Amino acid sequence: MLNIFYGDMPEAVYNTASYFKFDYEDEWIIDPYVKNMILDVDKSVVLDSGVIDSPVLGKIPPTGLSGGVKTLILVRFEKEKVFNVSTCGDNCAKWLLDMTRQEERTVNLRHLMDFGDEPFTIRIMNTGEIVHSMKELVPIAGEYV
Amino acid sequence: MRGKHRVIVYTKRVRYDFELRRNITVIRGDSATGKTTLIDMVQEHINNPSGSPVEVICDKPCYVLAGALWKEQLSGVSDGIVFIDEGNEFVKTDEFSRTIQGTDNYYVIVTREGLSALPYSVEEIYGIRTSGKFGTLKQSYHEFYRIYGTDVAKSMVKPDIIITEDSNSGYQFFKQVSDENRMECYSAEGKSNIFRYLKGDTGKNMLIIADGAAFGSEIDRVLWMMKGRDNVAVYLPESFEWLILSSGIFGDKDLEDILNEPSDYVESKEYFSWERFFTALLVARSRDTYLTYSKRKMNHAYLSKNVKEKILARMEKITLN
Repeated sequence: MLNIFYGDMPEAVYNTASYFKFDYEDEWIIDPYVKNMILDVDKSVVLDSGVIDSPVLGKIPPTGLSGGVKTLILVRFEKEKVFNVSTCGDNCAKWLLDMTRQEERTVNLRHLMDFGDEPFTIRIMNTGEIVHSMKELVPIAGEYV
Repeated sequence: MRGKHRVIVYTKRVRYDFELRRNITVIRGDSATGKTTLIDMVQEHINNPSGSPVEVICDKPCYVLAGALWKEQLSGVSDGIVFIDEGNEFVKTDEFSRTIQGTDNYYVIVTREGLSALPYSVEEIYGIRTSGKFGTLKQSYHEFYRIYGTDVAKSMVKPDIIITEDSNSGYQFFKQVSDENRMECYSAEGKSNIFRYLKGDTGKNMLIIADGAAFGSEIDRVLWMMKGRDNVAVYLPESFEWLILSSGIFGDKDLEDILNEPSDYVESKEYFSWERFFTALLVARSRDTYLTYSKRKMNHAYLSKNVKEKILARMEKITLN
């Protein structure tokens, strides 16, 4: 399940891009699941662990990925850490939901990310409530952002 | 600083071209649209002025602010355009708000968070879109698009309840109008309370009136609360004072020029938001006339039939009387 703490959370890693820069591992980049995320969000193709082919920027290193994808990768592999996923756009929401279908993750959000129209399961940690739609989520989460 | 400033940032692969109109511009939107790339390119240009593959064309110098030493960096910046990428936690602080107030820079801030300490306009929140290729076949062209402020009511709005952000003159004006026309009117007593008003749905038609010039931090959660509810509308003039000034009751030609191009007149060092500028302008224009304006207490002259109707007529697609 995806657990979200909305609003200020001092123990969360705020600057995820900086964290990723000194923390990512080569194996993460060539993980098939990560390759799909990079292709979907950044429209970029992983050539090997150190080179990604971006349609806009050409050949880039993993540190050149979008802030959103970098954060998604951290959420996937650094399971014990809590990351500020307000560095992710709405186009990352489906990946957060997908990653947490089988596994538990806790993230920090400081804005109202759009989790789409399909039913989902999210626990809002500020109140402990579990919600299944944006209509349920917004009145609760909106108090904290 | 005042006026509009066009910024072009480009390499042989990527080109950004946009115009800034106010002291605070916020960029948000999907991941991988090029927000950080834009700021990295500006930084590269600054770091290597004699030999950078990045070109920046702007009539003002551009800077990037980042990290724990932001305050020290900012102390050396004047009359420039300051870019701040996401991940810089200081943009949310009161200290940052206090520090940039009174500076003569324009600020471009990348964040999806609502910055409640900063009075930024709903009209200056942008996304970046790639609109195809530019120049050479290899160069992709990025431009800003306005995220909010482009939706217009399709039919006339006739509310049963009015909620004003304002608790002073603006509220007093709409309260009087409401009393005369069998509507209810309440003050939310601050922009952050409007979200809470929207949580209770009475089924009645509700109109929210707030100052668009400083409502940027609230617009996202307010629009989320309005989603799927056709009995709620939001009206966001620059401010109540702007509404009065633009109603034509003063009839000055130069006033029309100011209202047509406020950015040419609003000095960012003096006015943190356009809302404050329009208040000062209205106070100055009405001084020593029967329309002398006070933000605290509504001058009854504004509630006279003729003046009131002119102000209400300025509210397009809204019927209150």
